[in-house]
This record gives sequence, structure tokens and C-alpha cells, in this order.
Amino acid sequence: MGLLKKFAAGLAVAATFAAAMATGSANAETVRFWYHFDNPANPMSELVAKFEKANPGIKVEAENVPWNSYYDNLYTALIGGNAPDAAMVKLFAQPRLVEMGALEPLGDRINAWPGKADLLDNLLELNKGPDGTQYYLPVQYVVLYLYYRTDMFAAAGLKPPATCEDFRDAAIKLTKAPDVYGFGLRGGKGGWDQWGAFVFSQGGALKPGGLTNPQAVAANQWVIDLFRKDKVIPPSAPNDGFQEIIGAFKAGKTAMTIHHIGSSKDLVAALGDKVSAVPVPKCGDGRWTSYGDESLAVFSASPHKDAAWKWISFLAEGQNNVAFNSATGQMTVTKSGAKDWKLHERRFVDATVESLPFAHVLPQNAATSEFVNTAWQTAMQRALTGQISSQQMMEELNALVAQ
Amino acid sequence: MSIVTPTRAAESPGPFWRRAHLTPYWLLAPAVVVTAVIVFLPMAQAVITSFYDLILFRPNASRFVGFGNYIKLFSDPVFWTALWNTVIWIGLTVPLQMGLGLVTAILLNREFPWRSVARALIIIPWALPSVVIALMWRWIYDPNTGVLNDLLIYLSVVQGAVPWLADPHLALYAVIATLTWQGFPFFAVMILAGLQGIPKSQYEAASLDGASSWRQFLHITLPGIMPVLATAGLLRVIWVANSMDVIFVMTGGGPGYSTHTLPLYAFIKARQNLDFGYGTAIAVTFTILLGSFVAVYLARTMREVEK
Repeated sequence: MGLLKKFAAGLAVAATFAAAMATGSANAETVRFWYHFDNPANPMSELVAKFEKANPGIKVEAENVPWNSYYDNLYTALIGGNAPDAAMVKLFAQPRLVEMGALEPLGDRINAWPGKADLLDNLLELNKGPDGTQYYLPVQYVVLYLYYRTDMFAAAGLKPPATCEDFRDAAIKLTKAPDVYGFGLRGGKGGWDQWGAFVFSQGGALKPGGLTNPQAVAANQWVIDLFRKDKVIPPSAPNDGFQEIIGAFKAGKTAMTIHHIGSSKDLVAALGDKVSAVPVPKCGDGRWTSYGDESLAVFSASPHKDAAWKWISFLAEGQNNVAFNSATGQMTVTKSGAKDWKLHERRFVDATVESLPFAHVLPQNAATSEFVNTAWQTAMQRALTGQISSQQMMEELNALVAQ
Repeated sequence: MSIVTPTRAAESPGPFWRRAHLTPYWLLAPAVVVTAVIVFLPMAQAVITSFYDLILFRPNASRFVGFGNYIKLFSDPVFWTALWNTVIWIGLTVPLQMGLGLVTAILLNREFPWRSVARALIIIPWALPSVVIALMWRWIYDPNTGVLNDLLIYLSVVQGAVPWLADPHLALYAVIATLTWQGFPFFAVMILAGLQGIPKSQYEAASLDGASSWRQFLHITLPGIMPVLATAGLLRVIWVANSMDVIFVMTGGGPGYSTHTLPLYAFIKARQNLDFGYGTAIAVTFTILLGSFVAVYLARTMREVEK
């Protein structure tokens, strides 16, 4: 009964909180804001101080919510009526939030906002809601690409792979089990975007029937074979998350992995110029990589929508946005900020920009949240460990999409 | 467990008597009210919720389905996998903790230098938060950078790194080992207290009669600590059954479903997929199963102890 007890306790706390909020917010407006930064160097309090100085009468309570339970907390807070006024949000959550009626449309506010012209092209288009309304204001972006060890490639006389065939070939040549493996696959939570580079590029799509067509099943089988037959992926892959794939790459246990520019600083600190990056390989006739978005939204239940909008638009403006990104290690969404970009080495910025033409987001439907949150990893882990076949895995995921 | 014992109410008509007679109830009332509001009310609510098809992000599509969630549950293969995992989880963890705790307690009950330091140190695993333990062991087990594989390879016990948490046949046992390590100090401390309550004269008398130390253990030590073992064992069964934080942090229930236990499955359904109807149906079913086990255990073990 631990769960129920906690749930009940949570409800009780939420209720007292809500009561306190209702009575205590008479004069100064307080904007409650949720975000998630992994980086210990957190510039948020400086940003808040700068904002409060420019906007007397508005106070900002910014809370860093741990990433692993960020959405669990956000959804339950929204339902429990104790949600923040604004928060950092990703696109995969948008259909669910729209279905809940939790988001405040921002279109008019964005149009009247001077910062709009400074946003990078196309970002607002990518961020549109499933119903065509603008709810999200972009705040940072990344694109997944392939990290590789320049020294290992040079020693083996290899070039960074441009196609899936090259990729497999290189992975096989670089693998010296159990010391070094060709590729660090993220088989645990959040690994779907690596997998997408191999499967969504070859006929797979997150729509009814889009996963069960023969090409998609074969592409998925190819990934499983990398692990089970070719053995170019560390045996720990089914349980590996972000920490593990980056840890193994830094330790020289893997020669390639797929992640975004957010980890480049960390990798350069460990490996210096022995690490570089190229766009993910072209597989079959297609190329797909994940556009990793992060946006800001105002919630429809907020009593301080205007103040909340002022705060989130502040975060998306020029130098503020650069300061924000210095904490997350991601890319700014402003043209003025991008002009003089010093946060990352050039080679990683290049790999990101070169990947943009084939960077995609997942289709926005209700199944996407569950696919990203739990379904992909449970299915993938069982396929990797031989409990189900590629066909069964794809049928299971298809059933989710077809709901 | 608070049980209000009925007293003879009808025999005391006077107001003075009545007031004195009511005093215990007044004293108990705050605890009862609090327990009712934060334990029994949500429990009742959970039972009601389990009869609804309730997905939190679709509040308008909620509808009454009667036993629908339960029927779905019994034909859900994941439920049976999770139930079996729960049986292994409890069935191995508690006896292992108890065994290790018993050995530790007997060792700590002997005289040796620095004994008080050893007694204090032994408590550390129990005093650490579960999440810290889970993260720590996750790194210990890590096949690429973890220390366990390094040691085993160095000692030539295994040839290559073993993916402890990524192998569906090993993951559950790896987590059980972690929880055993975390929980044995509880038993050690409880049993140590029991051991110190056994009068020395019994051992002296036994050795005069020529009883070997094994027979002394069997006929003096074990009966002496039996009440402690029975109570601590019951507490542990309930705690271990409900604890899912260590599993959640170490494997998230994976790979696949191989470390799903019922409380974890309920948590994933309710909190991550926001399917509260189905999640509470799992929780209610598990409560009934655990409740019946506890009832049988109490009836049998306590009778043995009181003999």
C-alpha cells in the first residue's frame, strides 16, 4: 500500500498548498516555473535576478525538477491543480498536454513580441501543436549525431561512416571484445532516438502499419543483429541509459555512440581531440535523425498568464537564451546568440548544422508519449535479449500506435 | 494495526462512569481519525477507482467498468510475470537477509576488539537512502566501468564482463543481492538484541550437561530468538514486498519485464502511463494477496511462538 499512502499524502500536501496559494497571492505576482538542468553550474538564479530587476512586481520561483520523473510530476501536478504557471516542455508531450486542455495558446503573444524576428527560421513551424495552434515557445534545440573516436578510427585505417553498411563494417572492425565495442547503444530509457536513426530512415514510421512493414521489421532486425549476432554493442546495452553510454564512451569502451551536442563539453574534457562527430549514417535510401527540442509553455490554469509570458519570453531573448544554454549545453534559438557562438567546439556545431536537413520530430499523437516514456524500451529490451522477435516487437509497438 | 478492544459499555449508566469509560476512546480518536483520513479513505478510494476506466489525461473519457480492470488483469501476461517475480523477490530476499543477519548477530555477540565499532559500521547499509544504494550498486554492476566485473575478471572467475542488470535471467537476482545487502543489518540488530536477552546460565547448564555448541544453538539460541525472528520476518516481508524504489532506480523494471514486481507494475501503470483505473486494480489485487499471506503467517507463526 506504499503507493496509495504516498498518493494520499501527496494529495493532502497539494490541497494545503493550493489553499495557501489562494490566500497568499494577493499583491505581488509570483510566477512558478519548472525546468530541468543536469548541470551543477546553474545560472537560473542570476537570470531570475536580472528579470526581477527589469520587472518589479513580478517574482519568479524557479524549481529544478529532476529529469527522470519530470513528466510524471508535471502531469500529476496539472491534474492535481498544483501545476506551475510555466514550464520547460518537449514536443512529445504536446499532444497529451493539448488533450488535457492544459496549454495556453501563445500565438498572439508571440506575434506581438519583438523577439520573434530573432528566432531561428522554421523553429516556430516545427513547434506547432497537433491542432495547428502555437502553444510552445522554443528555448533550445539539439540534433542527434554520431560521436566517434578519431584515434581508434585512424588506427584501424577507417573513415567515419556515411552509410549503414560502413557503420556496421567499422563497428565490427573496431570491436575487440571485451575491451572495446564498436557502438554504444542506449537500450534503456530514452534510446528510441538512436534507434530511430536506423529504423525511421528505412521505412519505419510511428503511424498505423508504419512499423510492421517488411522494411521496418528488417531494419529493426539489423539493429538487433548488431547486438546479438555481430556483438559490436556492449552486453550491458539493454539496461544502458544516458550515463552508461557516455561513461563507456569516455572510458574508451566504445568507439562510436549517438548523442547530441549537450554532451560534447564533457566528452572533450575527457578525450580532448580524440573525439569528433559526423551526422548519423544514411541507411537504405533515407536518413533520419532526431530533432531534440525544448520549449517553454504557459499553462491555461495559471492565474498569472501575462507575467508568466513575460518570464518565458525573457528566457528566449538573445543573451538570456545564451546564458540558459550555457547550463544545458544545447544550442541557442536566437540568430543574435548564434552569430557569436562560443559554447561548443566548431566540429560539433558543424555536425549539428549538417544534420538539420534530415532532422525530424516524432508525429504528434497520443501514442507518442507512451512510446517515448515506457513502450519502446520494454519492447526493445525484450527483443535485444531474445525474448521476442523483431516482428513481435514491431507488432507490439504498432498496436500502441493503432489505438 | 490498532485494534480497539470492546469493553463492557452497557453496564455503566451513570454520566461519571460513562465519561471515565470513554476516556480511552477520546485518547485514541486523534490517531484513528488521522489513520482513517490518510490510510483508509485513500484505500477505499483506490478500490472505487479500480472499478473505473480512468486515464488521468483523458478525464472526460472516464467510465464505470465494474470488474473490467480485474478481468483484463487476469488475462494480462505481464501480471503473471510480475506476480511470479514478486514471489521470487520476497521468497529469496527475506530469508537471505535473515540468514545473513543471524550470522552477523552471532559474530557480533562474541567478544573481540573494536566490537562496538563493528556494530556501528554494520548499520550503514540500512541507514543509507534506497536511491543512493540503488545508484551505487548500479555502478558496481556496470559491465563497462563497474568494479564487480573488474574483480571477477581479475580473479578469473568469469572470462568477460557479465551484464548483471541487462541479462533478463540475472537482473532480478542482482537486484535481490542489493536488497539483501541493504536489509540484513536490520535483522542483525534485532537478533543481537534477542541474543543478549538469553540468560548465560542456560548455556552454562547446557555445557555442564555436555551439549555441543551446535546443540546449544539449536535448543537454546534458536528458541530464544524465535519471537524476534517471527516479528522481524513479518515486518520485512511487508516492507520488501512493497519496496520498489531500488528496482525502479536500478532497472526501471527491465530488461523487458524481467524485474517487474506487482507494486512496480502498479506504479508504472498509474504514475508513468497515468492509467489509474488499471494501476489501482493491480494495487488492490496485490493488497489482497499480501493481506492473506500476512493473515496466514500471523495465525501460524505466532501460535508457534506462543507455545
